Amino acid sequence: MSDQSPQANPPLIRVKDLKTHFPIKKGLLRRQVGSVKAVDGVTFDIARGETLGLVGESGCGKTTVGRSILRLVEPTKGEVTFDGRAVREENTRDLRSLRRRMQIVFQDPYGSLNPRMKIRSILEEGLILHRMGDERDRLEQMKQALERTGLSATVLERYPHEFSGGQRQRIAIARSLVLKPEFLVLDEPVSALDVSIQAQVINLLEELKQELGLTYLFISHDLSVVEYLADNVAVMYLGQIVESAEVNQLCQQPLHPYTLALFSAVPSVEVKSRRQRIVLTGDVPSPSQPPVGCRFHPRCPLAETVCREVEPPQVDLAGHRFHCHVASRELERCGGDVGKTSKAIQAAITAVYSDSNEPYSAV
Amino acid sequence: MAAQLLEIKNLVTAFHTSEGRVPAVDGVSLSIKRGRTLGLVGESGCGKSVTAMSILRLVSSPGRIESGSITFTTESESIDLVTAAEKQLRKVRGGCIGMIFQEPMTSLNPVFTVGDQIAEVVQLHQKVSRAEARSRALEMLHLVRVADPEQRLDAYPHQLSGGMRQRVMIAIALACEPDLIIADEPTTALDVTIQAQILELLEDLRSRLGTATLLITHDLGVVAETCDDVAVMNAGRIVEQAPAVELFSHPLHPYTKGLLQARPNVDTRDRSPLATIPGMVPAPQDFPSGCRFHPRCSYVREPRCDAEPPTLREVSSGHFVRCHFAEEIDS
Repeated sequence: MSDQSPQANPPLIRVKDLKTHFPIKKGLLRRQVGSVKAVDGVTFDIARGETLGLVGESGCGKTTVGRSILRLVEPTKGEVTFDGRAVREENTRDLRSLRRRMQIVFQDPYGSLNPRMKIRSILEEGLILHRMGDERDRLEQMKQALERTGLSATVLERYPHEFSGGQRQRIAIARSLVLKPEFLVLDEPVSALDVSIQAQVINLLEELKQELGLTYLFISHDLSVVEYLADNVAVMYLGQIVESAEVNQLCQQPLHPYTLALFSAVPSVEVKSRRQRIVLTGDVPSPSQPPVGCRFHPRCPLAETVCREVEPPQVDLAGHRFHCHVASRELERCGGDVGKTSKAIQAAITAVYSDSNEPYSAV
Repeated sequence: MAAQLLEIKNLVTAFHTSEGRVPAVDGVSLSIKRGRTLGLVGESGCGKSVTAMSILRLVSSPGRIESGSITFTTESESIDLVTAAEKQLRKVRGGCIGMIFQEPMTSLNPVFTVGDQIAEVVQLHQKVSRAEARSRALEMLHLVRVADPEQRLDAYPHQLSGGMRQRVMIAIALACEPDLIIADEPTTALDVTIQAQILELLEDLRSRLGTATLLITHDLGVVAETCDDVAVMNAGRIVEQAPAVELFSHPLHPYTKGLLQARPNVDTRDRSPLATIPGMVPAPQDFPSGCRFHPRCSYVREPRCDAEPPTLREVSSGHFVRCHFAEEIDS
């Protein structure tokens, strides 16, 4: 998502038309009867040293995107390039060396650390696997990684159950740092933590990024955290990116009705600013049978006939990309002014809600 | 009719474990007026859920309510839920007080249809036939805006989405038209757009049915958007209590301030490091001496803070805070 031309500074991560489908098998012969299209045509770049925030509701495929990049699940189609190397074409051995450079931190620090292993073994496992240094070097590396995450070397001889959630997440981060990666997939790294501990881990992640020049794919459903950490944001809905832009651009002038709804749904502590809340009706449809046309149309307050029939093409306005028939028409009407278009769409949604008899649709 | 629907006084609930007595709730006093919403906020392990469980006396062994009183005043009578007989309590649970739990998947029974589970409550509390209970269940599903309620009545919990399940939980809690609903993290397991739906629903039902609500959550945003009054809990005690507008515009306790500052502020888009509360949430078996927040407090003043436990005192009308130096910190 960098604005520079790809020749000048090739992005560290390039994802092109990535599709990851999971087969649904039924019957005695386990014949495939359909597929869950968890990721269905996702494209983005992440420049070195940048953070891309990937947001969306549960089941939209954001975690699968992260795992597909590392090939922890095998993508069905599409290209993933890491530093010029096609991740999908690497054989097992080369993939392993690539994986040292790209690591992942999982959501649940209670589930991602083996309770029967000491912290030493948890941290050392990767180093041994990648044949990095002898025993003394390894210990040194582990100490450094722990120190960076705000822990002392005394934790090495202890077990995961002795630590609180925040400490465990630090250990999980240390585990990925020990291999000196360049790219980290952070899959909801603070969602399981208490508010006061969340802030500590967020600050830590930001510090590490600055010090080590890391590149992040930050996956989260928490928009306030993403807004704080990300340089660029991509909003996912049912396996596809519906809108993406530079963070301030996206937050201040969102164009896709789904993005607008998502932002308005985040509860704010500002009592005086009880904002206009856009409450979407219904649930996210099943990714095994996504709606035809625009995937968001069954829940979209602005859906029109064309939305039910034709998949909206991507519109790219100097890096602000979106897929929406209504927004692209409005944009044309507003003469390409994004700010004006954003306001027009917001107004249109509000008008829909105040016209309907639904007593609770607008506050 | 008394103004206070529920009045908790000096509630102490402790767990007797092999490591000794663990006071999860240590002298909590709260009151909820008819038709009002009280938000109880705090981090994990602060005792907010145990407080909720104590109200319905659902704390199981080795936990025990050791002292205090919980007075629940209905139109006809006033009962102390701490000393009430089991038989009387059974009428209260699900009858005058409904409960919504956090995990809609684990709190619904997977082997019964949702219709049966709603009808069960109705049949337990009211003298109605099976058919009447079933039609009441259908009515409730309509009320909580489940799509196609006729079909959903015979659906099993696994066939429903998280938001739908939470709607069913709300239907069960509301089936007997309770005076009070205790909602323990009702939206924590849900996505933001679904959370918005459920919060709207609760708000709408409250204004139509006049049900008072005790909303337990760790999310200050949820409280700010839905509650009339707020109580902040830390380490088994209430540290600050005030009307919502007052608390969010003028927080006094360092813990409340810390919690508010630790959230990334969406409105200012400030990228400077977040203010953090250092250290960890203490476990109930090793609550610190004196003020229980003092090891994490940035305004701490020895020796008073670690020696003398502060009391909850009223600093301005309706605004209570448990801190020795609240006024000085404020100015």
